[in-house]
Amino acid sequence: MASTAAAVPFWRAAGMTYITYSNICASLVRGCLKEPYRSEAVSREKVHFIVSKWADGKPEKPSIRSDSPEA
Amino acid sequence: MAMAALRREGRRLLLSPVSYNSPVAARSAILSDELGPMGARSVSTQAVRNRMKSVKNIQKITKAMKMVAASKLRAVQVRTENSRGIWQPFTALLGDNPSVDVKKNVIVAITSDKGLCGGINSTSVKVSKALYKLTSGPEKETKYVVLGEKGKVQLVRDSKNSIEMNITELQKNPLNYTQVSVLADDILKNMEYDALRIIYNKFQSVVSFLPTVSTILSPETVEKESEAGGKLGSLDFYEIEGGDTKAEVLQNLAEFQFSCVLFNAVLENACSELGARMSAMDSSSRNAGEMLDRLTLTYNRTRQASITTELIEIISGASALTG
Repeated sequence: MASTAAAVPFWRAAGMTYITYSNICASLVRGCLKEPYRSEAVSREKVHFIVSKWADGKPEKPSIRSDSPEA
Repeated sequence: MAMAALRREGRRLLLSPVSYNSPVAARSAILSDELGPMGARSVSTQAVRNRMKSVKNIQKITKAMKMVAASKLRAVQVRTENSRGIWQPFTALLGDNPSVDVKKNVIVAITSDKGLCGGINSTSVKVSKALYKLTSGPEKETKYVVLGEKGKVQLVRDSKNSIEMNITELQKNPLNYTQVSVLADDILKNMEYDALRIIYNKFQSVVSFLPTVSTILSPETVEKESEAGGKLGSLDFYEIEGGDTKAEVLQNLAEFQFSCVLFNAVLENACSELGARMSAMDSSSRNAGEMLDRLTLTYNRTRQASITTELIEIISGASALTG
């Protein structure tokens, strides 16, 4: 019980941001749907993009973030 | 005047430069692409016919691209207009501070991956560069996060040391909030910032796109600015339920605000991209049609000229025999 420090919610203490937290909650809600609506909802959850960080003006190896919408 | 028209055609057809010494040689040189042996006697219409075929094909392709863009635009436009309501509560609560003066700026420039969409990517990059100049100074640091291939290509030319991240293939699946929020999360985790400035083309109508900047402040900056009063200063009048502190709430709000504003910005930019592509393809179909008209005229002129030349030869040959 961290009573001396400011009360940090459990997800923030675990290293998640608010965005990640709300995404997990949203996919839990989507999981509660019944069949025809469920597949439509799952299609709204698809993630795909390619990130590449740059250092000193040169791109490093790009990493693909795909399919699983959670971090 | 005919020579001027032919010269214009020559330029438009992007042929290699030919000297316009004599009319006949010039005409045949333009039209047959080479001089036959002993000078241009046989004027070939083959080259013009080939050119006409390829221009017609290009016109069909651009018309098809325009229709595809128009149909996609209808769907995305509805989603964009609906998503505008997502960031309005944030602006109502926190106000809009585009002129905030902070040390660390991150410019998120949203561009497209595919080309053939007119000038929207260039305007976004221009605005980003202007904003970079505006926000740079002693002790200040500005970095770019580029979404989309086209922006990266343009920014790499002169600002490649300030690019921090580059994201591509965003539109492989239809755009949804989850994807954009994961992206926002990535950006937040990897960048230190006092203020985030998102640059995108806001979709006003099918023919007009406004480059827009949305500013999002980090929680610490919000604290600092609230001392200056205004909307942020009146945040203290709100009562916070649930046992979170104000700093907690501000942090959550900042992250969520970024995610929502980025979602709207990505949708608006996609809409603008489709609209710009529609109008670019439309004008290119129209140009192809005009080019086709001009080529047809030239083709007919050449055809008639060659028929006339043959007739003259036959008649003069015949009169040489009889006379």
